[in-house]
Amino acid sequence: MDFSFFITQTISGLTMATLLFLVASGLTLIFGVGNVFNFAHGSFYMIGAYFGYQLVAVWEINFWLALVLAGIGAGLVGMLAEALFLRRIYGRPNEGGFQILLTYCFILIIDDVVKLVWGTEYKSLPRPHGFTGAVNFGDIFLPAYNLLIIGVGVVVVVAAWWILARTRPGKIARAAAVDREMVDTLGVNVPLTMTLVFGIATGLGGMTGALAAPLRTVTPGAGIEVIIDSLIVVVLGGMGNFWGAWLGAILIGEVNAFAVAFLPKWASLFSFLVMVIVLIFKPEGLFAPRQVRKV
Amino acid sequence: MTMKISRTNTAAALWCLMIIGFALVPVLMTSTYQLNLACHVLIWGLFAVAFNMLWGVTGMLSFGQALYYGLGAYFVGLMVEYLGRAWYLPAIGIGILAAALTAFLLGLIVIRVGGVYFTMLTLAFGQLAWQIMFKWYEFTGGDDGIQGIIPPGILANPIVYYYGLLVLVMISIWMLKRMAYSPFGLILRCVRQNPERVRFLGRRVRRNQLRVYIISSLFAALAGSLMAGVDNSIHTDMFFWTTSGEVILMSVLGGLNQFFGPFVGAAVIIMIEDIVGAWTEYWSLIIGTVILVMVIAFPKGLVGELHQLKLRLTQLRARRSQ
Amino acid sequence: MRNKRLLVCLTIAFLAFIVVPFCASAEDKTIRIGAMYPMTGRAGLYGKDSVAAAEMAIDEINSKGGVAGYKIDATFTDSKAKPAYAVRVAKRYISEENVHFLFGVVSSGVGLAVTEISHQYKKIFIGTDHASTRLTVDNFQPYYFRVSNNTFQSMAAGALYLKELAQSKPWKTIAFIGPDYAYGHSQWDEIRYNLDRFGVPYKVVGEYWPKVFAPDYTSYITAILNDKPDVLVAGFWGGDTVAFIKQAQAYGLFQRMLYFHPDAGGNYELMSAMGAELPDGLVLGARHYDNWPETDLNRNFVEEFHKRTGRFPTYAAEGAYAGIYAIAQAVEAVGNPDDTEALVKALESLKIKLPEDPEGFTSYMRPETHQITQVMAIGTTVPNSDYPPAKKMLGNWKVYNAEELVPPVEYLKEKRQK
Repeated sequence: MDFSFFITQTISGLTMATLLFLVASGLTLIFGVGNVFNFAHGSFYMIGAYFGYQLVAVWEINFWLALVLAGIGAGLVGMLAEALFLRRIYGRPNEGGFQILLTYCFILIIDDVVKLVWGTEYKSLPRPHGFTGAVNFGDIFLPAYNLLIIGVGVVVVVAAWWILARTRPGKIARAAAVDREMVDTLGVNVPLTMTLVFGIATGLGGMTGALAAPLRTVTPGAGIEVIIDSLIVVVLGGMGNFWGAWLGAILIGEVNAFAVAFLPKWASLFSFLVMVIVLIFKPEGLFAPRQVRKV
Repeated sequence: MTMKISRTNTAAALWCLMIIGFALVPVLMTSTYQLNLACHVLIWGLFAVAFNMLWGVTGMLSFGQALYYGLGAYFVGLMVEYLGRAWYLPAIGIGILAAALTAFLLGLIVIRVGGVYFTMLTLAFGQLAWQIMFKWYEFTGGDDGIQGIIPPGILANPIVYYYGLLVLVMISIWMLKRMAYSPFGLILRCVRQNPERVRFLGRRVRRNQLRVYIISSLFAALAGSLMAGVDNSIHTDMFFWTTSGEVILMSVLGGLNQFFGPFVGAAVIIMIEDIVGAWTEYWSLIIGTVILVMVIAFPKGLVGELHQLKLRLTQLRARRSQ
Repeated sequence: MRNKRLLVCLTIAFLAFIVVPFCASAEDKTIRIGAMYPMTGRAGLYGKDSVAAAEMAIDEINSKGGVAGYKIDATFTDSKAKPAYAVRVAKRYISEENVHFLFGVVSSGVGLAVTEISHQYKKIFIGTDHASTRLTVDNFQPYYFRVSNNTFQSMAAGALYLKELAQSKPWKTIAFIGPDYAYGHSQWDEIRYNLDRFGVPYKVVGEYWPKVFAPDYTSYITAILNDKPDVLVAGFWGGDTVAFIKQAQAYGLFQRMLYFHPDAGGNYELMSAMGAELPDGLVLGARHYDNWPETDLNRNFVEEFHKRTGRFPTYAAEGAYAGIYAIAQAVEAVGNPDDTEALVKALESLKIKLPEDPEGFTSYMRPETHQITQVMAIGTTVPNSDYPPAKKMLGNWKVYNAEELVPPVEYLKEKRQK
């Protein structure tokens, strides 16, 4: 294998990894802070993609602005869903099961609402101006938009780390993850924090949907196929861990990229295989958060 | 004492009534479709009850029971396809044994971890199995599935098959119920509520978890193998995570803490799916909304809530008679 | 207290058999068709288009007074693209609604499960869109008929196209990428079989099997670029084609090799989704085109469909439209929809003029396989904004004779022996 192919394949793996991570980051955030497993996260990704399509292709709004608006839109839907429904089941016995059931209902409802609004036709978004071309280094050929996506991934992971580790809201969120009651006693409005966190997470999912739309198809059912893969990433990285999710995504992306190059027949088996192997040896994930002991 | 006896009697009477109810289906039905529906209710009911032994009773939420359901179905399908129809019945037994063995081997790995990690690990194994069945299309038929799985001899008659199925399902559910209320079942409940204390009592948590994992899985395999003869075709969907998910939904909807809750949940979900699906293409919106309302309104599940209602009525009556 | 629970079980079990609607007035003069199409998710567009076109055909026939004194009445149910569910629906159609025909189905997996039911209950099943050759070859049964092309025919036409191409623009190597399930695999097997059959030399430099509905193809694209094939044969359908083309475009794949996608690539959904983004010069094929052949029948079909739905049809629509007319013709010949065996005979000798037939050709059923035999055309993408939102359509047509495309008898024998 020559060097330029190695680089090209690595970068193409990174593109896939970054989009995986961006979806997974919202999932891991809700899980880490709120202990909520949002099965419908892929549906918020899909909503974001449709918002992006509506804003850019129909209303002809600037792509970058649309990206932000799509994220905000999906986040608002998410906050609504949390405040109206999800909040009511916190603290029930077997809450985990109810979370799966309830968020599964979100999937069913959102799928049909999207179909009612936008129909079943496939939609597509063109790549924004200035990012339609590619960068060349000799034999290495890198599409500008793919590089942009990788950049966004790095920005998100650093920003998330900075917010969670260094700012007050981030600290509150992390504290709420450890002991909700204690944070409540300290005078923090925990339900509101939860709704906001849910909004940010689904907003991230929505923005990713819009960001991925120029490379993918905007279609009903688009949410289902991203959810299992991002789940794998979240579990690999250790649930609730941002850096872990990022590294987990890169691991899956690169394993996949090189499996495609050398064992194309079996490539689709590898992501599950990696997950099984990692979980057998490190059930809590590669980069599990340090266990905080509750007294 | 007398009360206890009478309650046991009514329980027995209701068992009989349920069996008779299902047994009368072929007599009362107006179309073979209803028979088909009854088969689905019974099979999914068994699958859900077996699954609930794992989750509702022992507290182990597996997201990969489809693996065993599919395994049961594919043992029957593949053996009939490659070895002939006569292998139909032996295949059910072999499939169950294979499922038990698989559950034992995988169980050694998956029960080492608890909580959400157990859930994820079972999901990972389930999806791995699905991918293998999907990809190995020369042998398994891949996404095309296997068709023409007709039971041998007299069992080819759908009514005869239905009665065979009814007997097997009822015996299995009865066995599971006995188990759930036996000392073994009691330990399983303790495992869910407080594993530490189980250790103090000198019982091994993992061994009991492994046992119930195997038991639940072999009944899931039985359900799958019975399904092969109902539709005469099987499909890799049976291994897919949505199948594992469906059985979780059935259990939650029916009520986790009630032995028959999952069975009722299975019946309700199958009915809703068919009725709404036949009526509108917007089934997904309607089913989603209906289940959403049920989840919010009935935190104990359907059977649990009915149970609660009955309790309240008795209390009310007692208060009045005072 | 336990008894209460049991009571609940019982009530629900009984309810199950009461709630189910009872309808069986078999005496009225209607031809009842039980149709199953996916109407949600990825394949929803195919299903919705099929439903609209079938309803259109039914309205056309009924407004002219029906056939042989019968009106046509069809019920459409979402198959959810799940075989087990579709089987349940098919059984309901047969035993509750006493349908005369099962109809539809987009996914081959669902088609195979339903053909099994059709066989057992001796109900005619008209397949309108699923493409797996297995239904008419390996799993052939007398009550199944397909009124749209299968992958074998597309791939035979594709092989002939590549044969001609070798004369004008020599090529040596090919690579394949397609979804990793039966549909993708049968395309790859069949294109190679047909290339061999027509004596076309080729060298395979790579084959790639992404998951169906995979959102990301970047790693596959870079690997294909590294293989440097002259021709890339693609076997995607629907949204996967759109995603692959967009991602490949960013890498300049289409400047470096010929993109060749003869089975579903030329479907209108791709043109409508991608608009001006779609590159020129891709070689695509489909089972029906909105802009070819330019016969009155096709023009009317496309215009009427557009009037009804506000969008132009994908090829699935024409299959469903053809299916209804095939049923009408068979019932006309037999005189009633109840004599199944006579209907099978009538369908076996079916000759029917369809929107996709060019001047001078009429589609006909091949009795050995119950597969309709049709002309195939393959074209390349060219600018054309007559069918908005598409900005490109196919042009530079190459048309292939129907007889050359059907599987030869040896092929049938070999497959059926297995």
